[in-house]
Amino acid sequence: MYRHSTASAQRTVAVMKRYDLIVVGAGPSGLSAATEAAESGMKVVVFDENSRPGGQLFKQIHKFFGSKEHHAKVRGFHIGEELLREAAAAGVEVELDAAVIGIYENKEITVRKAEHIEHLKGDTIIVATGASENMVPFEGWDLPGVIGAGAAQTMMNLHGVKPGQRILMLGSGNVGLVVSFQLLQAGCEVVALADAAPTIGGYGVHASKLARCGVPFYLSHTITKAEGSDRVTGAAISEVDDKFRPIKGTEEHFDVDTICIAVGLSPMSQLLKMSGCRMSDDPKRGGQVPDVDEYGETSVTGIFAAGDVSGIEEASSAMIEGRIAGARAALRMGFISAEEESARQKSFSADLAGLRRGMFAPGSKGRMPEKTEEGLDISVNLLTKGYLSDDEVTKYPGVVKKKGLHPVIECSQNIPCDPCQDACRFNCIKVGNDITLLPQVDMGSECTGCGMCVASCSGQAIFLVNEDYDDRSASVTLPYEFLPLPRTGDSGFARGRSGERLCTAEVIDVKTSPAYDKTNLLTIRVPKDMAMKARFYEPLPAREADA
Amino acid sequence: MNEVNDRSRDIGEFVPQADDDMIICRCEEITKGEIRRAVHDGMWTITEIRRFLRCGMGLCQGQTCARLVKDIAARECGVPYSSLEPATSRAPMRAAEMKILANEK
Repeated sequence: MYRHSTASAQRTVAVMKRYDLIVVGAGPSGLSAATEAAESGMKVVVFDENSRPGGQLFKQIHKFFGSKEHHAKVRGFHIGEELLREAAAAGVEVELDAAVIGIYENKEITVRKAEHIEHLKGDTIIVATGASENMVPFEGWDLPGVIGAGAAQTMMNLHGVKPGQRILMLGSGNVGLVVSFQLLQAGCEVVALADAAPTIGGYGVHASKLARCGVPFYLSHTITKAEGSDRVTGAAISEVDDKFRPIKGTEEHFDVDTICIAVGLSPMSQLLKMSGCRMSDDPKRGGQVPDVDEYGETSVTGIFAAGDVSGIEEASSAMIEGRIAGARAALRMGFISAEEESARQKSFSADLAGLRRGMFAPGSKGRMPEKTEEGLDISVNLLTKGYLSDDEVTKYPGVVKKKGLHPVIECSQNIPCDPCQDACRFNCIKVGNDITLLPQVDMGSECTGCGMCVASCSGQAIFLVNEDYDDRSASVTLPYEFLPLPRTGDSGFARGRSGERLCTAEVIDVKTSPAYDKTNLLTIRVPKDMAMKARFYEPLPAREADA
Repeated sequence: MNEVNDRSRDIGEFVPQADDDMIICRCEEITKGEIRRAVHDGMWTITEIRRFLRCGMGLCQGQTCARLVKDIAARECGVPYSSLEPATSRAPMRAAEMKILANEK
């Protein structure tokens, strides 16, 4: 009996698979960590509970911010494809439909596969499980039709299904803003965007894209009720007081079939807690997070955390955090030398520092400064209504008046992003060495109208304006990411920054090019006095166009 | 943490609220009122509430309601949200059928 059990125990030990590194989660940080480690010579496996790799990246159809090193102006899903190619080239094994359901002593893990549970051991483990969406309870919140913004994105961008026709979005952070725009692109109507906070939480440029499409912002408002008996048929929102309590008598009703919730994310850190890592409740990092050092290593030697699971940020920083943890794991296991590691870490931390700058940096969360780094007033209109007013916009260095064709850059917040600077071959646009500075237009340069700057701006904040198009009219070239694409000769309406109809507009040019990466350039002709006001084109409704 | 464990504190009587019948844990169909009542019945930690009501023990394993339950419990106990320890994390971290759990390789 004794002999038998020993023999079987030995057999179990012999068959348990071992890896130099086990990564949990095949999102941006997990794949980056795995690639970094595998490139250093480690045997690496990545487990992901989903059937598709890439985490949230494959739902991100918008262009990312940052610098060239941070994949700026590349759409999220393209970044995901690139990460997968890199991981495959480095020899990383990626196992899908494989949920890591436990981490035990001595870095033993259990993985749930289709029909069985597998035990494995890793000499090091990087947990990159990301985050889950927060919910907010209100009357009727459990009705079908109340969904997370991430769920809406999955339905639209992965499965090609519209989540609904008429949407109320809750939450004005970047997730709420970006998903609202994608809902518009999918052909849904976003009837309102509400947030209990007094100011818009995400980038002003994202908000402006919505405002000029006519989406109204309701700041200092909260949802009080989802209406309907077996599904959402409407919603009510109320203004809130300074303690976020609904004010009686301010209720407003909307006919909607879908309520999207984008009120923040919580780190999915349960595996780390189970593995015995010291944890903290840190509201600034999004909730329960592991205590980690600058390399993402937890209090358990050899177990790392990277990406949102160690503090909510975004995909670009998650990728760098993954690289950092991957290099550290390689050092721990002796695959790279201390010198090699420190050289790599130096470059990663410089990259990370570049991203964690500006008004929306993790350190300044919730505290919007009153002035830009240039000393200009931050637009209150932008923070509360989602757009720069006509008189405010001229304050910013990218907004210039000039004879003939020239770019107008309506960029008014210091965020780490600079693709516009490289977009112009004639160096007409300058951000300077500090990536968070507002772009300036060089008055001496000639603009050829190539439109590369318009397409390169992830915030869709660059326009080409020619106030001298002819005697009576001006031309405005704007980024356009809606279908069907208008045709030259079409007429419709020009909309202002606030979404109001200004005047009729004629489409005089439509440009598409692989270099624009699906941001189409629409040039419209408007009366001269509308040159600095017209910022969006609204096609005539189908019926009017036929008539 | 001491404040949380001090069971001699008076947290007052259970006062019914208008939204007590609002479901908080959707998997196990636990209402806000049931959670508040549990606190007044002596369940002052998330672990106790979870064992008593099963909230957070359904299909999603508390992915949706963990924060909400913690928020309600902290308010009812009169302690800061961050001072309440979250529920113990254990395997299986994701729901798994018994036939799979029992089939170890």
